[in-house]
Amino acid sequence: MPRETFQQELDGLVSDVLDFGGEVKDSLENMVKAMEGRDAGAARQELGVDVRYKAWGMDIERECMILQARQAPVARDLRLLYTVQSVTNHLVRSGTLCEHICHAIVDTEGSERDEDLETALVEMARTARNVFNEGLDVFENRDIERARDLQAKDDKVDLLYSEAMNLIANPSEGGGGAPEWRMRAALMVHYLERISDHGVDIGGSAVFLVTGQRIEDAMQQYLDRNVDHDGG
Amino acid sequence: MKGVSLVETQKTGRERKVSEVSRDQRDARQKGDGAPSGDGSTLGMKIQDLAAFYGSFKAVTDVSMDVQANKVTALIGPSGCGKSTFIRCLNRMHEVIPGARAEGHVMLGEQDIYAKSADPVNIRRRVGMVFQKPNPFSKSIYENVAWGARINGYRGDMDELVERSLKQAAIWEEVKDRLKESGHGLSGGQQQRLCIARTLAVEPEVILMDEPASALDPVSTQKIEDTMDQLKQSYTVVIVTHNMQQAARISDYTGFFYIENMGDPGQLWEFDETEKMFSNPERKETEDYVTGRFG
Repeated sequence: MPRETFQQELDGLVSDVLDFGGEVKDSLENMVKAMEGRDAGAARQELGVDVRYKAWGMDIERECMILQARQAPVARDLRLLYTVQSVTNHLVRSGTLCEHICHAIVDTEGSERDEDLETALVEMARTARNVFNEGLDVFENRDIERARDLQAKDDKVDLLYSEAMNLIANPSEGGGGAPEWRMRAALMVHYLERISDHGVDIGGSAVFLVTGQRIEDAMQQYLDRNVDHDGG
Repeated sequence: MKGVSLVETQKTGRERKVSEVSRDQRDARQKGDGAPSGDGSTLGMKIQDLAAFYGSFKAVTDVSMDVQANKVTALIGPSGCGKSTFIRCLNRMHEVIPGARAEGHVMLGEQDIYAKSADPVNIRRRVGMVFQKPNPFSKSIYENVAWGARINGYRGDMDELVERSLKQAAIWEEVKDRLKESGHGLSGGQQQRLCIARTLAVEPEVILMDEPASALDPVSTQKIEDTMDQLKQSYTVVIVTHNMQQAARISDYTGFFYIENMGDPGQLWEFDETEKMFSNPERKETEDYVTGRFG
């Protein structure tokens, strides 16, 4: 096949991104365990991953630039390089947010907590992790059918976000936990919501990769077709 | 709820036949009737059901497309798929080969260039052609440009015409002090721009270019490409190129010619805006070709 070397380079790039995604997944898994078990030790394992992830992301970006310069990609090759860069950026950001959360867990070790708020946080962390993992899976398998379902799963994270923010703003009488923990909880809620959004975007990038359409445009087209069908 | 999946939506798009796509494109383009665009002084072309033959062999079949006025249209495709044959049909150059003929309609504005009343010589003046290999006459630079206009009866200021043509072809500054020297003394890139100037001097409406930069070095190629960008302000340009990046750089529309099975005639497989053809073409074969997976 012509351009066999180029194809191997593209395959290698995708493989590298998936390896990267696998490591961020492991970090998120550790983060969830640390939250579930109030395990500062597990959280400590993730301190410092941000630097490594950023360096990894820059390596992938550099490789994309070199391939663009050398191979002048068009059409699906160009979409793949664009998608790889976009997914890499989401992975780096997710890894950074994961480390921020783990820092908060370590810093507030032993602090008094609001049980209701902690329950909501743990549930949010599990859901955000699941959305992220599914986003990566959609990207790996280019399963654009599942991409739109991710948005619905992210809605659950948004709901938990509101619930957690409500508990932070309106603590139960005599509860509420230590002020520093509550302050950190507010940040963690925000970080988890962002991690879930990154998962949705990673999955959505598969739609662009396969069809050339933005996920938003594909969703709108899907909705419009259903309106037409239902109406007529 | 009646759902149509994203996968189905995509498949539907990819499975659309080129004839349907072309029809949609024709409907969508309000300026696609071969009429002047209004922002330039030239005409577009409308090709309908064109087929080209060499004796009994059908080399190109069923080509319908609109060549937009004041735009660059690039034709790409593997070797032997009929691009050059097709472009030569656009100014009746194809039929000068013994046994060669074309069927169908090619409208230049309101005139069918294959109508019985059409004069091939006049058509070739109105639709000029630049070839792969620069072919200046064995005459001075000045005479290379003036000759075509003179034999076509031009009675205006010849010096002015030569200067204007050389300026439009972006070579005036390089030759203005050596107009009486032979055209053969120029570099390959300069010779090709001289040939463009020669084509422009007879004041055509459409310029056809058959791989005009394939024999040139990168700097000369860039000059030709820059020249084409200027030319489309005043002319309609159709270019055959094997250089995909060149097509992507310089053209507004791109047509992909393809032979489905060995021995079949070439077809216009996909035709669309260049941006679309090089980012997200409708058909797999087009994508495979522009990404270099075959050809």
